[in-house]
Amino acid sequence: MKIISRKKKTENQYFAVTPHGKKYMIVNPFSEELKINSRKEEIRIFEDDDGFTYLEYKNKKYLAEIIEKYQNKYTVLLNGVSYSFTIETPISYNRRKFLEKHKQVSKSETINAPMPGKIIELLVEENVTVKEGEAILILEAMKMQNEITTHVSGTVKKISVRSGDTVAKDQVMVEIER
Amino acid sequence: MKITSLLIANRGEIAVRINETAKRLKIKTFGIKTSKEPNALYLRLVDDVIDFSDSSEEIPEFLDIERIIEAARINKIDAIHPGYGFLAENPYFARRCKEENIIFIGPSDTAIYKMGNKTIAKQIAMKHKIPLLQGSQGNVKNVREATDIAEKIGYPVILKAAAGGGGRGMRIVEKSSQLEKMFKMATNEALKAFNDSSVFIEKYVRNPRHIEFQILGDQHGHYVHLGERECSIQRKHQKLIEESPSAALDDKLRAEMGEAAVSIARAVDYYSAGTVEFLLDDDKNYFFMEMNTRIQVEHPVTEMVSGVDLIELQIRIAEGKKLPFTQKDIRLSGWAIECRINAEDVQAGFSPNLGIIEKISLPKGKNIRIDSGVTDYSVITPYFDSMIAKLIVHADTREKAIQTVSAALRKCLIKGIKTTIPFCLKVMNNRKFRKADFNTSFIEKELDNLYYQGAEDEMLAAYVATFDFAAQLETDRITFVDFERGKNISPWVLNKWLKSL
Repeated sequence: MKIISRKKKTENQYFAVTPHGKKYMIVNPFSEELKINSRKEEIRIFEDDDGFTYLEYKNKKYLAEIIEKYQNKYTVLLNGVSYSFTIETPISYNRRKFLEKHKQVSKSETINAPMPGKIIELLVEENVTVKEGEAILILEAMKMQNEITTHVSGTVKKISVRSGDTVAKDQVMVEIER
Repeated sequence: MKITSLLIANRGEIAVRINETAKRLKIKTFGIKTSKEPNALYLRLVDDVIDFSDSSEEIPEFLDIERIIEAARINKIDAIHPGYGFLAENPYFARRCKEENIIFIGPSDTAIYKMGNKTIAKQIAMKHKIPLLQGSQGNVKNVREATDIAEKIGYPVILKAAAGGGGRGMRIVEKSSQLEKMFKMATNEALKAFNDSSVFIEKYVRNPRHIEFQILGDQHGHYVHLGERECSIQRKHQKLIEESPSAALDDKLRAEMGEAAVSIARAVDYYSAGTVEFLLDDDKNYFFMEMNTRIQVEHPVTEMVSGVDLIELQIRIAEGKKLPFTQKDIRLSGWAIECRINAEDVQAGFSPNLGIIEKISLPKGKNIRIDSGVTDYSVITPYFDSMIAKLIVHADTREKAIQTVSAALRKCLIKGIKTTIPFCLKVMNNRKFRKADFNTSFIEKELDNLYYQGAEDEMLAAYVATFDFAAQLETDRITFVDFERGKNISPWVLNKWLKSL
């Protein structure tokens, strides 16, 4: 059986997003129809006999190396300077955008367990107002009692734990509405 | 006595450098192998290797005086070159060599001792009327004493907390009317910060340049200087770029400072190569700082402008030969610049970037010199300094030298680790550096970021990442059954493959 590569009917679109949120929209990375941020660009990638990888762009050569790669997270060394990106397809990009937007709409913040442990005492009740820095509960971990404080001011919307409960790291304990 | 064999008690580029000259002089060379760097480049180049791999953890190999001396004795080696760092400025090591009738390539142990002791060195400089940064002897008790000293040494002066650091309890006093107020502020601040109000006073040098003179002396009382090196581009007292000559000096000042450097060397009966360091202020006043009694990392810039081989002269002087020239024979020509290429991540505050150099290709060419101690697959270990190469260029003028450096830096290809190359490029592209308008505060004051970045570099990097990611997706689609193959294929190969489909 012969496997035939799927014919590209639509344009191949990707987003490279920097940690600061700067976005590069890259269309058709393999073809002559390459566009970056809607501008047509001509970039050639090639490897020399010594195994160095270069880009050629506007008659200039750039030394390139992928130094880290984990799923869609990349760190690229270009002329000795490193750059990090998250690469997204339109689908994953839109999903992430939607989630982020959704998060912004909801005004509630959660207090998560910073470490696994046992809830010793709850210091607040639902529907009371709290100020940033106020202690919410006492969590015992490694035989040490830790005061867990809130990083936002607002109203306690929901308490998901009770005294005596054991919690896992990052488990949501309290929700606070701003 | 003629030296016929030489033990190089060092590693890295300086071991390679010493080996090169020694071999040219038909001297048999020995290198020291350590367990930390068993495949180092210098070991492949020396005639014979002495194995220190079984060395204990307590005494690092290149600091193990007795073992090095014993190795020289057993192998009947005539001389030891210490390079720089390690035992290069250890008077005890020089003395032990002498006791064992091994020639130490460097000055006498007494000269090393005298110059290594800051108090003695300053006393010698003072006796020979070399300008020094003056100040109080110890702490200043009250405003009156501070005033007396300030009047004597001249303004501006700086008050520093004796227990201090980090700029706290530090006050610069421009004129006498400010002194009382500043003294109170400095002592109060010192008390609060360090629980100790004592302060001392020193002449303040505004934006100094670091200027050092290369001197040579033989064992027969002859001395010359080979001009200066400008080493003001430094970060936390680590030199990063050096040049010779310095744009801050004219012939008259050069002759004067050179003479001062020689007189310090003469005062301690110095022989071999040595470096006298000065601070130079805005008004071209110079102050003696210290003398380094060894070959310096940045010695190649002097070799480029003077045409001499300093290692060869060190060896000849150690043999007891006379200097082959006098001061008036010295001709310095053109401009030389050195960039230190260190395995450091400039973007992470110059932190050492350990790892394996997968591939390294450094430029060659007329007027370009590379001193390097690494090659493909060399390992950057945490045990030694992070310098992997020095790029040195020589040109008629400073401007041309900067151009050559910039072009050469772009031809330094290194894969596997990050280096200081983007930093060096940044400096070469700086307007003030190009105008030779800089001093030791250059890096903190003039550079907004510490690495060179072209306007389109980030976009191109984004393209590289996207290309690889997209190629990966394509591979997964095409070879959906053959996961192993899809995972391992190089995206660059894949590109060609995809095009051929």
